[in-house]
Amino acid sequence: MSLMVSFVMASFVAPENIGTNPQSMLLLLPLVVAIAVIYKVTKMPKITAVSFIKEVVVLSGSIVIFIAIIAIALFAFTWLITE
Amino acid sequence: MAQRSEANNVGFLMVIAILAWAVPGAGHYMLKEKKRSIIIFVTIVIVFLIGLYVGSIGVINPIDSKAWYLAQIMNSPIVAALGHLTSSAPEKYRVFGRPNEIGQYYTSIAGLLNLLCIINAVYLGHLRGSNLEHPTPSKTEG
Repeated sequence: MSLMVSFVMASFVAPENIGTNPQSMLLLLPLVVAIAVIYKVTKMPKITAVSFIKEVVVLSGSIVIFIAIIAIALFAFTWLITE
Repeated sequence: MAQRSEANNVGFLMVIAILAWAVPGAGHYMLKEKKRSIIIFVTIVIVFLIGLYVGSIGVINPIDSKAWYLAQIMNSPIVAALGHLTSSAPEKYRVFGRPNEIGQYYTSIAGLLNLLCIINAVYLGHLRGSNLEHPTPSKTEG
């Protein structure tokens, strides 16, 4: 038991190894979902499981899609001025 | 009488704000919003713990990252204890590069989301307090 606790505590004392690869962009997703959940939990007048999940999915999806659109636009802009 | 009830209301709002800061979601729990309080608690604690897991407790740095620390401290007073721990032995807990960056994003955004929840809980408490002070005529009659 104490070994287990020590192992869990140790994982919060040493940083993880995160590279600058494209997969590291996936760390964006939990943050987007958390922002959508907290926003919706403060805005919805009544919370029911189905409507809440639906609203969170729609908002999370919208945020990710707009981030992707902005990324593509910025990529196109840099491509235009550098080529 | 009106002054007394106003003072009581301000005190009640202060209690809600302090509770909501001490434990994420506790402000809403006091207002009998149990579903909201559970969702807030789970979400903010998970985001904060992901930040600590990715970047270690070294991402809480009250000396070199004051601006991030201001956002992080909105999570809970526990962050102050962690900040005291990391600042007492900076060489032991120092973290650099991408893990530091991601950890700071997560822990700071968790703090700012909790600040939003604190403000929301105080606003809900204020609305309920003003409804009690100025009840609708149908409720006062009879």
